[in-house]
Amino acid sequence: MDTNKGRGRFIFFCLAPAVLLFIIFLIVPTIDVFRMSLYKWGGYTDEKTFVGFQNFSKLFQSDKFYQTFQNSVLLIVVVTIVTFALALLFASMLTREKLKGQNFLRVVFYIPNILSVVVISAIFSAIFDPNSGLLNSLLNLFRGFQAEPVLWLGDQKIVIFSLAGAMIWQAIGYYMVMYMASMANIPESLYESAGLEGAGRMTQFFQITIPLIWTNIRTTLTFFIISTINMSFLFVMTMTSGGPDGATEVFLSYMYKEAYTNSSYGYGMAIGVIVFLFSFALAGILNAVTKREHLEF
Amino acid sequence: MKKILSLAITAALTLSLAACGNSSESVSNSAKNSSDTGNNSAKTTETRTLKLAALETAYGADVWKEVTAAFEKANPGVKVETTIDKNIEDVIGPGMKSGDFPDVIHLATGQPKGLTETFVKDNNLTDLTDVLSMTVPGESVTVKDKLIPGFVDTTITNPYNDGKTYLMPMFYSPTGLFYNAGLFEQKGWEVPTTWDEMWALGDKAKAEGLALFAYPTSGYFDSFFYALLNEVGGAEFFTNATHYAEGVWQSAPATQVFDLISKLATYTEKTVPANANKDNFAKNQQLILDNKALFMPNGTWVVGEMSKAPRAEGFKWGFTALPAVQEGGDRYSYTFFEQIWVPAKAENADLAKQFIAYLYSDEAAAIFAKVGAIQPIKDMSSKLDGDNKLFYSIYDNGAKAAMGAFATTDPVEGVSISDSVFASIDSLITGAKTQQEWVEGITKASDALRAALK
Repeated sequence: MDTNKGRGRFIFFCLAPAVLLFIIFLIVPTIDVFRMSLYKWGGYTDEKTFVGFQNFSKLFQSDKFYQTFQNSVLLIVVVTIVTFALALLFASMLTREKLKGQNFLRVVFYIPNILSVVVISAIFSAIFDPNSGLLNSLLNLFRGFQAEPVLWLGDQKIVIFSLAGAMIWQAIGYYMVMYMASMANIPESLYESAGLEGAGRMTQFFQITIPLIWTNIRTTLTFFIISTINMSFLFVMTMTSGGPDGATEVFLSYMYKEAYTNSSYGYGMAIGVIVFLFSFALAGILNAVTKREHLEF
Repeated sequence: MKKILSLAITAALTLSLAACGNSSESVSNSAKNSSDTGNNSAKTTETRTLKLAALETAYGADVWKEVTAAFEKANPGVKVETTIDKNIEDVIGPGMKSGDFPDVIHLATGQPKGLTETFVKDNNLTDLTDVLSMTVPGESVTVKDKLIPGFVDTTITNPYNDGKTYLMPMFYSPTGLFYNAGLFEQKGWEVPTTWDEMWALGDKAKAEGLALFAYPTSGYFDSFFYALLNEVGGAEFFTNATHYAEGVWQSAPATQVFDLISKLATYTEKTVPANANKDNFAKNQQLILDNKALFMPNGTWVVGEMSKAPRAEGFKWGFTALPAVQEGGDRYSYTFFEQIWVPAKAENADLAKQFIAYLYSDEAAAIFAKVGAIQPIKDMSSKLDGDNKLFYSIYDNGAKAAMGAFATTDPVEGVSISDSVFASIDSLITGAKTQQEWVEGITKASDALRAALK
């Protein structure tokens, strides 16, 4: 009885600092965001006017907000699917196949992840340059050198996909390493016996590899959502500034623009609330639909 | 046991609270101490501290240090604490959110973070009208007499339409169209003085594979647009338009402006929108240096900005006001200027005003002029040399000066007039928007802002 209580006390004291910090730096600011979204406030005065849900009703009537919503969702979907597929493919190639220079490839794939976004966007701005860029020069080999340049960052129909391209390039290495780590844990014997029973590589991949790294895949799906929302802001800020004419405006860049440039801090926080709820809901839904029986080896 | 547990919990809570409390207490203590010492010494040795925050621009940070040192020398007992940074908003922002305001801030409107606009919209500025009647320290003239007339009558300096000045004009720059004068000499082309001549030149240039026009980012259309409004409709129309008067965008002069810009869009180098953002805009400016486009709207700072860029042989900067809409019509060059202001909650507003008055003294102006930062002080332009002499003499050569901007409103969520007017020009060039859609967007934004006018 006594030792139990002593243990409880010990645990309490151990946890208290962390819990306290967590509350101060995470819970309180989050609640603050929710609270601020109900005010009309510029950010630097003592005058805050309580406006109830007005910020939200304005938000839902704003075409611009729907455009940013559309862009963000498009990026989340495209970046997640392509990165997911390519990362899985490369991971299984690097763990299952005997390739020359495996370690070298592993490093090469991971490098984009340690580069800063500013560097990456500088690289891609150069690649996408309409006149002297790598991509257009390459295309001109087939289209002839007099062809009208493709405006990768200037054509409103293309620019969001150009952005997605840079984001995918940046993200693949990270997810590949995550998948490789769990693939390396799958016992070789499973593949051997599957091979003896005549299962080809594709069957092995879908019947053995995927089910056994499923928990890992589920975790990364949540990562995809959060990181795409966050990273898209950085890429937009450094590559297009939301342009041309708002064609690449995403959740957070719009929030930033409203909260600071347009002096509507409360409205910006309302966008923050929507983003918070949206990413939470999306992660929850994805988690629910990907729920499978946990397999062990 | 219960007692011990509750004791432990209380202990933990008080401990943690004390931990938080301590730090804040120590901060306020030290703040108190410093203000105490400030007060004490104010009584004894009259030492006062002025907190200056300034954006570090192309003119550099050293010039501010030099000016504040000179101010300290002229005012014994005053210490200037400077915060100069390229991201000044991020440096002083958090402090201001918790009530710690600099006494004087040099930061222009039109910055991405819109800090100055936020202060203007929130009525968070100190009235600086009395600075105008202050005598410039060490001289016998008042600030108002020293300033070039017109600079403190604009919607930027007097944002509330009440005749009071809240922001003081600092470094100014004429804006207009920049071109390669060397190319015009080589080709024997004349710089167009009317828009008709402009289009004729555009066709000639097109035949040689050159575009008539390029712009760094769509934001650079502000000065262009304001000057054009003045050209087609004069000062009254400009005031109506910038105050969102009802139906103003459907009026004949406005339509003329929209037609001109739409036509200009067809003469614009097609790749411009791809680089029209804050990271790649220099590539658009490079088009002029490489003789790929003839004109771009810009300010005098572009010369310094592109000083290290490669250029075509025989390149020479040329600068002209906008062409007139008809033969013999007025030509305008918009005057861009930076502002210095005092937050409403500044502790040393009086000292801040003295400092601002000092900034217009010959001594301070000479320090600023060394780095090319020119203040709107009478006869300043005659003391210039080199490229700057050419640029600042534009108003002596017949061009009229346009000043002001879209009027200040209370913040309207989700509505930005500059996005509607300027950013949409990218879409005109890519073809994503028609002229009609553009005008509809402007009208909608203008209607929303009219109700919120200050």
